[in-house]
Amino acid sequence: MLILNKIISFYYREYKLNLSGFQDILTNIIFFFTSIFIFIFSIGPDKETISNIGIGIIWTLLLLSSTLSLRKFYQDDFESGNLLIMHLNGFSFGFIAILKTFSHFFFIQVPFLLSIPVACILLNITNDELIYLFSSFVIGSFILSCLGSISSSMNLMNQRNFLLGSVIVMIFSVPIIIFSVGIINHEESFNSLISILFGILLIVFAINPWASGLCIKLSLENN
Amino acid sequence: MKFLINPSKFNEVADYVFLPVLISSIILFSIGLIFAFYLSPDDYQQGSTVRIMYVHVPSAWLALLTYAIMTLYSIAGLAFRIPFGFIINTAVAPIGAIFTLICIVSGSLWGKPMWGTWWVWDARLTSVAILFIIYLIIIFMNLSFENRILREKVVAIFILVGSANLPIVKFSVDWWNTLHQPATISKLSKPSIDPSMMTPLIIMTFAFIMIGIAIAILRIKTEIISRKSYLS
Repeated sequence: MLILNKIISFYYREYKLNLSGFQDILTNIIFFFTSIFIFIFSIGPDKETISNIGIGIIWTLLLLSSTLSLRKFYQDDFESGNLLIMHLNGFSFGFIAILKTFSHFFFIQVPFLLSIPVACILLNITNDELIYLFSSFVIGSFILSCLGSISSSMNLMNQRNFLLGSVIVMIFSVPIIIFSVGIINHEESFNSLISILFGILLIVFAINPWASGLCIKLSLENN
Repeated sequence: MKFLINPSKFNEVADYVFLPVLISSIILFSIGLIFAFYLSPDDYQQGSTVRIMYVHVPSAWLALLTYAIMTLYSIAGLAFRIPFGFIINTAVAPIGAIFTLICIVSGSLWGKPMWGTWWVWDARLTSVAILFIIYLIIIFMNLSFENRILREKVVAIFILVGSANLPIVKFSVDWWNTLHQPATISKLSKPSIDPSMMTPLIIMTFAFIMIGIAIAILRIKTEIISRKSYLS
């Protein structure tokens, strides 16, 4: 029961932190919508073209705007020493990584879920496609959270090259983009594609605590 | 075989091996190029452009082989605490990047006359491009961390995570219908390539391996010396 209490207090802390920094999340969403506007201005307001490539635009911009918040993934807790305190309280580094991943998913990615229907209206995407987009985004955004955990823990001590973390997330998110956009374009093979996505999720979720836990441990040792 | 994991033993062996390897690579390159340009026949469909294969295929193999070696040494460095693994990772990554670049450039030079385009978003081509970017990220990570002990371990973790791309590169031509042809030479079955083209390909492969080993020896020795000066 003690560990459950600790987990609950961890999420309560995360909730309060994210609530006080709620304008950051809103800024992410505003970035997402502004980039949709920029995209439409650059390719012209032709209705056919937009509804053809709309899904790809939405996925690309979701990926870009979720990489924006990666700097805050572990960095604040690392610099204030909270990661060490969590570890002293009995959480292993891998378990901290899992908890942080879920927290990133709930507080950063779920607000995007709510903003997707509005984006679909702007891009002329039909209701049927919206359901496929939703189901692929729920799985895909969790994969993005796991990848973000790996890359931001790798770059904890990286003082020179901040953009490297975003590049790492983007290079590993190529299969996610391929399969999630494929779901909408090949609706008849929905089941097989969603199974592949789910398989990728399981692989990444298995790698995540090992890789990010080891990186956090190394960074704390060499700080 | 201790020179594979021990820096001072490696230095001793490398001093003996370096000059023969360099000379044999020069000899193999001249023989292989003579074979490739004059002694091997034209393809009945592709004409003379098939000779690009003698550069393209060995560099592609070596790009994969270099990454596989880095993966093995990362496991050795992280799991068995052999610091020589990290030395190899730092030294060998640019070599692999250059081999991948040669493979991509020669492949697109070959693709223009044969496929009619420099580049297609094919599974094989895309995965090799991702391999190239992974090599670049490894090089940049090596440059951007200040703490050496942290840097080499984080890079090793990244290499292990990125090694998921290797089987995708290898089997992409079997799993998807690609414009790139499937593998003609495999260990399990009889190669479907003519012996007159097989000979220069094998010679060029050994020439590439030899020049790769020669550059790797130079870079590993430099890395060992720089670490010695770092410690003292």
